Amino acid sequence: MDNKSSWKDTLEIVKVSVSPAIFSTWFSQTHLAKAQEMGERMLVEVGCSSLFVKSTIESRYFGLIQDSISKVIGKPCDVVFVIKENPEKGVVKELNISPLFQSEGKKDEKNENLLEVLNRAKIRPNFNFENFAVSGSNQMAHAAALAVSDSLGSAYNPLFIWGGVGVGKTHLMGAVGNSALKKNSSLKVLLCTGESFTNDIIEGIRNKTTQSFRDKYRKLDLLLIDDIQFIAGKDAVQEEFFHTFNTVTAAGGQVILTSDRQPSEIARLEERLRSRFEAGLIVDIAPPDFELRCAITQIKAKEKGIVLEMEHIQMIAGNIDSARKIEGVLIKLMTEIKLKHLEISNELIESVLGKGIETNGKIVKKDPSEVVEAVSSYYQIGKRSLLGDSRARPVARPRQILMYLLRTHLGIPLEEVGRLVGGRDHTTVMHAVGKITELATTDVHIREDISKIKLGI
Amino acid sequence: MKLNVLQENLAKAVTQASRFVSVRSQLPILGNILLKATKTKLTISSTNLEISVVTQIGAKIEEEGEISIPSKVISDLVNNLSKETVLLESEKEQLKISTSGFTSKVLGMNASDFPKIPNILTNPFVLPKKELVESLSQVIFATSTDETRPILTGVLVIIDKNDLFLVATDGFRLSKKKIRIDSQKNQKSLQKIVIPKGILSELGRSTDEISEIQFEIQEKEKQVIFGLGDVVLSSKILEGEYPDFEKIIPKSSQISVRLDKEEFLRAVKLASIFAREAANIVKLKLSKDSVKVLAESSSSGSQETQVEAKIEGEIKDFEISFNYRFLEEFLHSVVGDEVKMEFTTMDKAGVFTDSTDPDYLHLIMPVRIQN
Repeated sequence: MDNKSSWKDTLEIVKVSVSPAIFSTWFSQTHLAKAQEMGERMLVEVGCSSLFVKSTIESRYFGLIQDSISKVIGKPCDVVFVIKENPEKGVVKELNISPLFQSEGKKDEKNENLLEVLNRAKIRPNFNFENFAVSGSNQMAHAAALAVSDSLGSAYNPLFIWGGVGVGKTHLMGAVGNSALKKNSSLKVLLCTGESFTNDIIEGIRNKTTQSFRDKYRKLDLLLIDDIQFIAGKDAVQEEFFHTFNTVTAAGGQVILTSDRQPSEIARLEERLRSRFEAGLIVDIAPPDFELRCAITQIKAKEKGIVLEMEHIQMIAGNIDSARKIEGVLIKLMTEIKLKHLEISNELIESVLGKGIETNGKIVKKDPSEVVEAVSSYYQIGKRSLLGDSRARPVARPRQILMYLLRTHLGIPLEEVGRLVGGRDHTTVMHAVGKITELATTDVHIREDISKIKLGI
Repeated sequence: MKLNVLQENLAKAVTQASRFVSVRSQLPILGNILLKATKTKLTISSTNLEISVVTQIGAKIEEEGEISIPSKVISDLVNNLSKETVLLESEKEQLKISTSGFTSKVLGMNASDFPKIPNILTNPFVLPKKELVESLSQVIFATSTDETRPILTGVLVIIDKNDLFLVATDGFRLSKKKIRIDSQKNQKSLQKIVIPKGILSELGRSTDEISEIQFEIQEKEKQVIFGLGDVVLSSKILEGEYPDFEKIIPKSSQISVRLDKEEFLRAVKLASIFAREAANIVKLKLSKDSVKVLAESSSSGSQETQVEAKIEGEIKDFEISFNYRFLEEFLHSVVGDEVKMEFTTMDKAGVFTDSTDPDYLHLIMPVRIQN
């Protein structure tokens, strides 16, 4: 039996023994706050609405209450009285929020609206300027994007951002859309890829709905197209894009494009488009340097709620060269922590890095002998001594780097690496890889050496 | 019980006590006030189970004892007696009241049924009376009268080290006032309670010449007790979650307007003549160095009053509408000669302050008007 109904039954018994006036004055404002089993007996806490109710009932009707509740529960009860408002009394009260407090609620609504608007514009909410780390490699692009977001349509139109994979082109472009919508949520903004632009046209032509396609793109205040190089070589799409571009810019709208190479290098791009792209501002984003990777690691770790020491951050940033891979490593790290309940330590990060590299190893398919060649020429050490037995540091360190590169860059199994590097044991290789991983975190020269050798391969 | 007491003292105490009696109680004893004679004092108490009062007056006691008497009868009787000594004598459950040339027997009830009323302060804060009463008058008017949200009918009292904050809101406006207190008595760092406004306005009614009010929170009993000399007032604390008022106080503003209080009050009053028929709405229109107070009613006409003001900020065609009652009540609560209003947008709460009093803050929610 629950508290509410047992108290109701108790009051029914009490009602018989006292006058209606007494009942309605004292007893109607009580409730059963708590009932707790204490072995053979029950401890019952009766909530009274005020001090007067409590003292009156306690001093005059204690026996009556105790007898009645014991009968209802069927166990001897100890009764205590507390002053407590019946929690059920307040249930209705929060129904209408008054305007003064509503205004705050409105703000939340606005936030929600912003999410909705971003969703409609197909911009990810976490693409914003706040979580975009800036360093020498992307400073120019960042400044240009900020300028564009401050004065849409007039600063640089179009803004053309190009760079390799995972350098933050889409992030920067999304950030412009995000901040524009934050300032004015009624702006018409759309982020799409060159590929989905293409698909929309094809759809339009097939269903004879080119008009709705035009309505969708030509009335925009801010058009963001990712990977514009996809439209190269597609004549009808280029034609349509040309008109869309002209209409949007003529109406004072802003166009931002990203690509993996600069306009002059996009093959089979119509000359009139190329010249238009070149009329705006073309900025490039270089792959992130070590410091920027540290910053990115920090930002992303914070987003995922992982607490990393500076040492760990440097270890990750020193060994991984693209922002996406950093994200991947952090996700792996998070799963390790959550699933296996491990503490974050250097070893854990090393093992995660190792695994990450193994799966990414396919990227480079090169003959191991070329790597050996590159290392030996970089350090100007003969192949024989490089693969030989000397343990002198000037030879041993390049040898370790060679093993590290073979293992991580080419993804060759440990045993095989050992065989390639003068028939060494797989544990020697493991040691070498671990050693270099560690050094890459702390030693600038090693980091530079590695990236230069990588360029040479 | 048998005693002699001055009519003025008795009339004052009985009148005050009768305000605390519950009128519509089903239990007759709660419609009574309790008279109790001990040694040299006559104690008069009453309660409506939420708030209660205990007053002690000096009397010449011949015989100790107690009796409870219907409040209406005794207060009407005593107030109409001439100013002289009154003899009170109880005989079983009757009270005999007599002065020269007047006798009366009032049917009372056994005092043992009367609820026990707290009247002892064990470890009170001491608050300056004048400041507290003045501050309360700047806050109490903003409480809600809507019983469906009982928590807003009270005043939130926050004691934070050396500061005591009083906050009241009815959901359309909010008043906040800070008083500095002596912190030595304060052991706890932060206390927050909501006190019903009835007891607080009673504090202001006290005419006794005392300079300090004692104040104590009995957390376990959910009671607050105020000691004003010979009078002890107590009330239950309102339970419930007080809305988070801090977050609705705007942190910054776009526009600030300073104007003369009296002039502005006059303008609001003039506007109210027409506003009364138009949902109480008055419109404030800002221009370079003045505020226009406008009101119009479709049935009786319109008016426009210009009030000189010092305005800072971007005012391009800024218009904002308020319920004139809120403006009027705020202006009445201001002590200084100049008021400051700060606005952000026409649908955000306006911040109203007294230029001379940094401890007082008032918010009013504008009325939204569809254009």
